[in-house]
Amino acid sequence: MSTGQTSDPIAAYEKRIAALEAKLNTLEESVISRTVRESETFDWKTWAERFGLLIAWGVMILILGAFKPDQMFAWNSYASMFGSNAMVVVLTLALMIPLTTGDFDLSVASVMGLSSMLLAVLNVKMGMPIGGAIVFVLAAGAIVGLINSFFILYFGVHSLIVTLGTGYFINGVILWVSNSNTIAGVSMDLVKAVILTRLFGIPIGFYYALALSVLVWYVFQHTSLGRRLLFVGRGREVARLSGVNVNRVRTGALVASGVIAAFAGVLYTGMRGASDPSSALAFLLPAFAAAFLGSTAIYPGRFNAPGAFVAVFFLSTGIMGLNFLGVDSFVQNLFYGGGLVIAVSISQLIRGRKPMD
Amino acid sequence: MKNLILPTLGGLLMLAVPAKADMAAAEALIAKHSQLPTFEAPGPAFDAKACMKDKKMFVIPLTNANPFNAAISQGFVDAAAMVGFELRDWETQMDPAGWIQGINTATAEGFDLIDLQGGLPPEFLVPQITEARTAGVKVTATHNWDATTQTVPDFMDGAANTDYVTVGEIIAAWAMVKTGGKVNAIVLGPDEITPTAPLRDAIIGYLKDNCPDCKTQYINVPVNDWATKTQPAVQNALLADPTINYVLPVYDSMSQFIVPAIQIAGSSAKIVSYNGTPFVLDMMRDGDIVEMNVGESLGWVGMAGTDANMRLLCGLDPVTKLNTPAYIFSDENVATAGNPATFNDGYGDVHRAGFAKLWGVE
Repeated sequence: MSTGQTSDPIAAYEKRIAALEAKLNTLEESVISRTVRESETFDWKTWAERFGLLIAWGVMILILGAFKPDQMFAWNSYASMFGSNAMVVVLTLALMIPLTTGDFDLSVASVMGLSSMLLAVLNVKMGMPIGGAIVFVLAAGAIVGLINSFFILYFGVHSLIVTLGTGYFINGVILWVSNSNTIAGVSMDLVKAVILTRLFGIPIGFYYALALSVLVWYVFQHTSLGRRLLFVGRGREVARLSGVNVNRVRTGALVASGVIAAFAGVLYTGMRGASDPSSALAFLLPAFAAAFLGSTAIYPGRFNAPGAFVAVFFLSTGIMGLNFLGVDSFVQNLFYGGGLVIAVSISQLIRGRKPMD
Repeated sequence: MKNLILPTLGGLLMLAVPAKADMAAAEALIAKHSQLPTFEAPGPAFDAKACMKDKKMFVIPLTNANPFNAAISQGFVDAAAMVGFELRDWETQMDPAGWIQGINTATAEGFDLIDLQGGLPPEFLVPQITEARTAGVKVTATHNWDATTQTVPDFMDGAANTDYVTVGEIIAAWAMVKTGGKVNAIVLGPDEITPTAPLRDAIIGYLKDNCPDCKTQYINVPVNDWATKTQPAVQNALLADPTINYVLPVYDSMSQFIVPAIQIAGSSAKIVSYNGTPFVLDMMRDGDIVEMNVGESLGWVGMAGTDANMRLLCGLDPVTKLNTPAYIFSDENVATAGNPATFNDGYGDVHRAGFAKLWGVE
């Protein structure tokens, strides 16, 4: 094989890349000019799309408040609700990061349960100080993320299958390390650091979730890392050809997901002062619901932290109002499931029914 | 007119002099169940070793992953060891496929009796139960139905049932005595679980019948929703009515979701419940929110279930009610349950000697 034969295709390939880059530049310029135009002229449709969920939240409060004003217009109600949903916000953020890079992490709730249980076992059964135990369980979350990414990236197995499997595996580990028992008596220092300390009447766990949401928002919106995450999610091949280390970004997202899910577990244990082997799994679907509902707001069409944050509290405000009205348990499911599908569908209508990423 | 006025006056007088809660009866009920359990033989003594010589028993728990069921199973295993017959404790994970496989295995391997223990709903398995019975295997249930308000279906050979009504009444009586007849309680339970109805109705009914100034509201939280719905439901109920002074979940495992609700809502409500689950007793010992818990020795339940099954296999008069007494744990005696607490400590072990004597294996 002569060198001449191989150099030609390479030259042709480089030429094609140059053409592609030129095309991308033109596209980017047109996008920028359109954004400038859009920012100059106030567009009701874009505005409604971005803030629709916030408006719906406000309208819902007003409607429910018309029936139960004493409770729905009391700060204490919201302070309590904000405090008790901290771990759902954190779990949603954990889910959102790999979703952005195009990977599903079905093991997040299991990691939350594992971290919650390991924390109880280490602190209560083995007498480890709570600070050290927290570091340990966050590291455990990172290890699960690494294991997930190893199977997804090295073997090329779809993330749904891998994380479904690791999730089940972790559930077994939880039952094993806990001997199937619920463990109570976790250090009161943790309970104080999650719900017993309050700021403006809101348990402090809420502020951890808020801070983490701001951090994730900042990384996604204002750093090149955030752009790379998005880029990988939108088109792996294009990202790879543009010089993004796709595997590293996807691994990073899965590890971040593991660590953040483990943090949700810390909050969950701190909220109850106890840990049980199975209940954390029930938060997987609410987290998915909030992630998808959140992707229709603030930065529509993308998984985004402020959207997810608003979505969690939109859904829990609805549940709170239904509780105040004293409706049956099944109505909450109707609201949760129906609310999700209707809200996302309305958002799609506004977006001109473009396929969701 | 006179006819109309007199009853009206009578009604007004009744309003003016409020009816008093039946406090003495409530106190007596609490005192009775605060005493260490004593053994009352469920039936006449019999030679268990002789009649079980060529028989074997198969136990299918709701799930082995639940320490409650594991503790009952251990009672069965201990009883079989005392008498000296073969008993197999089937491993299941709350899955109907595992239960069905258990029934099929027991039938295929020629077991004489299958016991579905600790809440495994036999109604889900009627075809398999019928098939097993056709093959000559007896099928029973231990610790599933209430001894007085529920009937054992015809497709079963028998059942050793629990006195859930008394448990519910103890819980209600406790709250009534502690508040001086001013209970304002949330009662919670998963309606889809068989014992919920007798427990729920006993708590609410006892307060309705015996305590005119007491009020309750009931919230149904299915087991699958415990983690996501219990806390908001209780929290919001406490916010809506800050005078609520008791939260009465029919099963104490719900407490882990109720404690944070009480803390976040800034309420001073107390939790009183049933099951004697170790972590809840630990919560009672270490904190102030869990105030009382009605427990029963689960090792005793397993032995009492074995006793009822052996009587069925030996053709003796049937025993339909477990003789395991309900026992009150509070701050005063929770230390006796162990640290960490267990399902069997604190109740004494009179049942071991009692059953050994009853079965002639002393």
